[in-house]
Amino acid sequence: MIETALIVETVVKAIIALAVIAGMAGFATFIERKVLAFMQRRLGPMHVGPYGLLQLAADGIKLFTKEDIIPQNVVKPIFMIAPVIAAASAFVAIAAVPYFPEFTVFGYTIHPIISDINVGLLFIMGAASVGMYAPLLAGLSSHNKWSLLGGARAVIQLLSFEVVSGLSILGPVMMIGSLSLINMNDYQIGGVANWLIWKQPLAFVLFAIAGFAETNRTPFDLIEFEAEIVSGYATEYSGMRWGLFFIGEYANMITISVLVSIIFLGGYNDIWIIPGAIAMLIKVSLWIFLFLWVRAAWPHVRPDQLMWVCWKVLMPLALINVLITGIVLV
Amino acid sequence: MELRGFKNRNVSPGYIFFEGEPKPLTSWEQFKRFLSRAVKGELFVGLWIVLREMIRFDIHTLQYPMEKLKMGPRYRAIHKLLRLFDSGSERCIGCGLCEKICISNCIKMDTKVDEKSRKLVTQYSINFGRCIFCGYCAEVCPELAIVHGSSYEHASEQRASFGLKEDMLTPLDKFKANKQKEFPGFGALSKDADKFVKKTPLAY
Amino acid sequence: MFEAIAFYMFSILVIGMFLIVVFSKNALYSMSALAGGMIFISGFFFLLDADFLGVVQIIVYTGAIMAVYAFGMMFFDTTRDVKENIRFKKIIYTLSTLSAIFVIFILLAPVYSGKIEALYPSIQGVGNIQMIGLILFTKYLVPFELAAIMLLAAMISGIVLVKIKMEETPTDIEVAKGEK
Ligand code: SF4
Ligand code: SF4
Repeated sequence: MIETALIVETVVKAIIALAVIAGMAGFATFIERKVLAFMQRRLGPMHVGPYGLLQLAADGIKLFTKEDIIPQNVVKPIFMIAPVIAAASAFVAIAAVPYFPEFTVFGYTIHPIISDINVGLLFIMGAASVGMYAPLLAGLSSHNKWSLLGGARAVIQLLSFEVVSGLSILGPVMMIGSLSLINMNDYQIGGVANWLIWKQPLAFVLFAIAGFAETNRTPFDLIEFEAEIVSGYATEYSGMRWGLFFIGEYANMITISVLVSIIFLGGYNDIWIIPGAIAMLIKVSLWIFLFLWVRAAWPHVRPDQLMWVCWKVLMPLALINVLITGIVLV
Repeated sequence: MELRGFKNRNVSPGYIFFEGEPKPLTSWEQFKRFLSRAVKGELFVGLWIVLREMIRFDIHTLQYPMEKLKMGPRYRAIHKLLRLFDSGSERCIGCGLCEKICISNCIKMDTKVDEKSRKLVTQYSINFGRCIFCGYCAEVCPELAIVHGSSYEHASEQRASFGLKEDMLTPLDKFKANKQKEFPGFGALSKDADKFVKKTPLAY
Repeated sequence: MFEAIAFYMFSILVIGMFLIVVFSKNALYSMSALAGGMIFISGFFFLLDADFLGVVQIIVYTGAIMAVYAFGMMFFDTTRDVKENIRFKKIIYTLSTLSAIFVIFILLAPVYSGKIEALYPSIQGVGNIQMIGLILFTKYLVPFELAAIMLLAAMISGIVLVKIKMEETPTDIEVAKGEK
């Protein structure tokens, strides 16, 4: 009986999380266009609905109803499965993310996390690194030079950022002594002064940089950089398959924002009089805004620069951070 | 390998040549450059500038179908044939200069001698499929008869839509309503043209 | 019940994937199936409540197979079939069949005789990660440290090896040679 209840609860949570995150990912595309436009003295989408709000629906209809083109000479099964990997891995990652403090509805306590596995953090990072297979497979199977270059860059990117994100997170993990995101959150109970960012500033910066690389956001969006390789791995994609890549990217963005908020910025604990859930929303929105802001302001790096900076600068810094944390802890 | 001698085409003095930053030689210099670039905060200047623009909200977008840009007088769009202000008759005297000078050979006209033994323009058309809007015709016209208009919305159902004489000539009713504007742009007299009028030296 | 279903599902998936790895002539299929198989193997770890190992399996093998992909990208046209050129078919097939049977025998013999014992039975109330830590830092301390030192050395030498000087762009060199 209890097992059935658990299964039902998990399924319901999964569906809700999926719908909300997919919706938010769609909404994030709209926000992105607006914010970028404002920063470049433009208005962005204006004509569909009030202030272009329904542009979202228009785009969705367009993506869903477009013909699913599979070009000649591609490796068909792999070409078809690559966008599914992108979206699926992004949504699998959200299974281990706690979003809000637990709350009670009709006397039934709900933990807003789909599955509280005790290695949540590692699980999310694993799912994210599986997500990098999507551009790689898309690039290799597309039979297109630009796609191939995009795929090659995806390899470079994964091999660069994975070390940094893993090592930078080690410091906080050592301090907290757990890989569960809920423990991380509970570690920071009690106001802004207890946030981990004050104890691990270096790790925070490194993890943020690695997060930008992980989600292919601007300074590191070399795998689909129009000016160099047309559209990178997504050159041959159109319609809903392209849309899946897109949703995956935005879902990843949300996941990374939530992760940073939980690990370094105090998670969903109450700040002063702001309740935890709202504090969390504010933090995540600010992080997503930061993603867009950086996209509006900063230039791209070259692949060799990314590798250079990750292996020669950030990785030693992360190691030093781990070392210092270890010394302080002992 | 000095290209500057060739490149210097009498640019105004004070032109700054930028050869790029000096290349760092030793690893220490490289490290210093890396530090200065990383810590100087230039990246944050960029961030601040875009944020400032967002806060100012100084939007330059023109929402096209609802708002339209007013074209300047020198804009060269679809042509117009004007009428004389005094009599309302056509300005074009059928001299054929525009037909002659048109570099894409797209003006075609036909004239005849009418009963008052004056030249009458019976046909005048511009093939806008070929016109490159160079403005030579307007510039060469001695009567300021063929001029450029300012309508830039050129979508039409037929190729010949704007190019016949009836389309380009100011209609009489519009003319009578005093709606014909003198063309201030390409080939027109400038406002201070009077100042430049000189006496013909009769001494020759 | 669920565990049995999951176990058989994952087994079929893993075996199927690795069959594709061996039999496919297309490098892209093989590599993708390899990656898929490695990820499905982590399912067994999750079934055995070894979350940590499962996740580590995913993270490590995605990175590792990524490197295999990089090589595949350099050596093959991944959208075409690879032409295999096997000269001594009989020897290869006999040897591989024999070794497969041998491996199965080695693995199944202790199971069959029922003499499997955990050297380090899991302690009640101690988490998965803690157990791994305990074993790594007691019995396997020396190999662990040796592996760590080896990896560090490999990493540093890798960084040193890729230190190519990019002071001059190809254009600079052409200009210096007087070609432009
Ligand atoms: S140059 Fe002017 S006046 Fe002469 S034919 Fe052309 S439009 Fe008429
Ligand atoms: S604008 Fe140029 S190309 Fe067009 S009709 Fe006049 S002279 Fe010919």
